[in-house]
Amino acid sequence: MNTEKFLELLKEELELESDLKVSTNLKELDEWDSMVAMLLIGLVSNEFDVNLTGDDLNSITTVQSLIEKIGPDRFE
Amino acid sequence: MGVKIKALEYYLPTNKITNEMLQERFQDYDFTKFESKVGIKSRYWASSDETALDLAEQACLKLFQTVNKSEVEYIVYCTQSPEYILPTTACLLQERLGLSRSVGAFDFNLGCSGYVYGMSLAKGLIESGQVSNVLLVTAETYSKYINAEDRSNRAIFGDAASATFLVKSEQNGLKQFAFGSDGSGAEKLIIKNGGTKNACVTNPEIRVYGSENQYTDNDLYMNGPEIFNFTAENIPDFTKEVLEINGMTLAEPDYFVFHQANSFMLEFLRKRIKIEKDKFYINMSDGGNTVSNTIPIALKRLKEDLGTVENPLTVVIVGFGVGLSWAGGVIELDSSLI
Repeated sequence: MNTEKFLELLKEELELESDLKVSTNLKELDEWDSMVAMLLIGLVSNEFDVNLTGDDLNSITTVQSLIEKIGPDRFE
Repeated sequence: MGVKIKALEYYLPTNKITNEMLQERFQDYDFTKFESKVGIKSRYWASSDETALDLAEQACLKLFQTVNKSEVEYIVYCTQSPEYILPTTACLLQERLGLSRSVGAFDFNLGCSGYVYGMSLAKGLIESGQVSNVLLVTAETYSKYINAEDRSNRAIFGDAASATFLVKSEQNGLKQFAFGSDGSGAEKLIIKNGGTKNACVTNPEIRVYGSENQYTDNDLYMNGPEIFNFTAENIPDFTKEVLEINGMTLAEPDYFVFHQANSFMLEFLRKRIKIEKDKFYINMSDGGNTVSNTIPIALKRLKEDLGTVENPLTVVIVGFGVGLSWAGGVIELDSSLI
């Protein structure tokens, strides 16, 4: 998946106010809560067939770290 | 020889809490987003002097408008909100309802998977010839376990009770069931204190999760994302297993009624399993997540929506959650239900 598209998809599916950058720390966003976490799990599962665990969610910070969890080879 | 559902009723406490009311109380939590994602508009909470047993009694009284209570031979009572640590709440229910003293009665402690387990237990009791009917009751008051400042869980969970009367029949109304258990998921949905492991603590440490939801070890704790993850990973394949053991394809059942935990997760599951929208019943916006009550409530509401049906409907029921525990089966619903 194209990284730019992924940033847009994240913003849309997670229903976030502001545009995202790869360096944006998701956890520090105003909107971050267990509902957004749930939306993220659903999104990553649907788009990449990857299941994010609670541990994964705990360690994820920036979008970059999320990309790394999913697998950088899935992105261009 | 089989078992069929003869009657099903449920009861919601009168204290209705809407999202507007919660919004007033918790000004900085976005209930509009909650409503659209989780799919809950209102939930009902037992009052301070009302217990799950009281709710169960009301559900049973409703049932007894069409069922003769002197016929009841056995009570199977599913709850995680027992009246006391002991004695068994089902015995108290026997007395409350004035049932025969020759009934069997016991409680079992399960949550979201409870109704399906209860159905399979009833099938076992009846088909083995031990009794000719079972009164299956689910009753829950999670509201009493949730910290007053835990906005998320206060919004999700609701109290309720249900009563289902299952009887011996020519109809094979309860087909094959499958089960699952994973104790490694214990801490994902737990009340740590108050059991034999840890006593309740006076002045417990206040913990926070998500966006400022407060709880202590005396209260209910749920790791929503982990539960969603577990559900997403296990339930699609499990549902296929349930169809397989019943010799059915995905297209054959009339309806799928899953534990109604949250609508986002349900839609996710529906798409993942590739069930048609029309066959996948979701009805939780009024009532919320009532734990073991969600399936019986949904079944009753489904039947009410449909009205009289000529032939029995085949319904796949799947419950999953606290334990971690899950169960699924295929049942039939017919017009005797309304």
